[in-house]
Amino acid sequence: MIFREVEDRDLITRARRQNVDAYNLLVSRWEKRIFNYLLRLTGNREDALDLSQDVFLKAYQNLAKLEDLDRFGSWLFRIAHNEAYSLLRKTKPEGDLAGDLVTADSSGRLFPIELTLAVESALKQLSADQREAVLLKVYQGFKFDEMAEILCCPVSTAKSRLYTAFDLLKQTLAPISARGVE
Amino acid sequence: MNCSMDLKAYIVGEVTEEEHRQIETHALACAECREELERLALTRDSLLLLRDEEMPRRIAFVSDKVFEPNWWQRLWNSGPRLGFASAAMLSAALLVHAFVRPPVNPALSQTELAQTEAQIEKEVGARVQAAVAKAVADSEVQQEKKTAAMLETAAKRFDVERRNLLSVAAGNSDMLYKQMVWTLRTSGQLGGGQ
Repeated sequence: MIFREVEDRDLITRARRQNVDAYNLLVSRWEKRIFNYLLRLTGNREDALDLSQDVFLKAYQNLAKLEDLDRFGSWLFRIAHNEAYSLLRKTKPEGDLAGDLVTADSSGRLFPIELTLAVESALKQLSADQREAVLLKVYQGFKFDEMAEILCCPVSTAKSRLYTAFDLLKQTLAPISARGVE
Repeated sequence: MNCSMDLKAYIVGEVTEEEHRQIETHALACAECREELERLALTRDSLLLLRDEEMPRRIAFVSDKVFEPNWWQRLWNSGPRLGFASAAMLSAALLVHAFVRPPVNPALSQTELAQTEAQIEKEVGARVQAAVAKAVADSEVQQEKKTAAMLETAAKRFDVERRNLLSVAAGNSDMLYKQMVWTLRTSGQLGGGQ
């Protein structure tokens, strides 16, 4: 007997026929990624969770509009991006996301938790566009063309945002990381 | 840095195998690029220290009528959607054509109408006459064929009856001839005996 993992496209096809169980399985595959993306974008757990639910509800209602079933991931992140920015526009003005800087101890070496905090802090220093480019590339592993699709911008713009973000992060994180972790 | 290598693309895995080899070979020879690559790699690895968090609670949907599309939404999203759209466009085109069609000139319409009616009557009359003539001709031809067939059948039957009669007559005359011969022989024998 050959066991074949049910692919997303099969689940999408079934979900389109109002098969809620199939859709729940699809949600279980993607919810953690969407939640963490929204968490790092908004910086708030409750917001991230509420937005995640909204994202999957909207995705279910608009599943018939998805043209290419193989691009479900980028389509879903596009919805998440729109939902997050819709919330961010309401609550936080652009550029008001600066966090506290992490300080090292006397030896200059950091504990793992401190390095994690340093990374979180460094990410907060970025503009929302730059941070999102890092989230999509480094944490979600999307290709440049998929990032452009999610962000609704040219590939060159997506690339430029990522490169600028790396230049900024490099100044903060490379020296800390080079000093090592206890 | 003067080198034109796209080191960031290398770090995030957006280079081809060939570009990958070129950058690695170049970094061995170029200290500046090698250091830049190290800094970028440290940055990327630092970012990857952030772990995904577990969700506070899972998302799940129940089969609720509220979230399901109405019957007309399902109908609209199904196959006939295109058909309905086409029919609507066709209807719209017909309406537009009906309203946009140029008006008929009333001054010309009376004479044109009379001429057209006369022409139609003439044409209809000619066609009716032609059709009647054709039907009559067809009927005559069929009748002639039937008559010919009947005559042929009667002639055959008469021929058969005539042959039968001739055969009977021939048999009778033969029999009569034999009786006459027998009578003559009989009378000869009687005369010779006297």
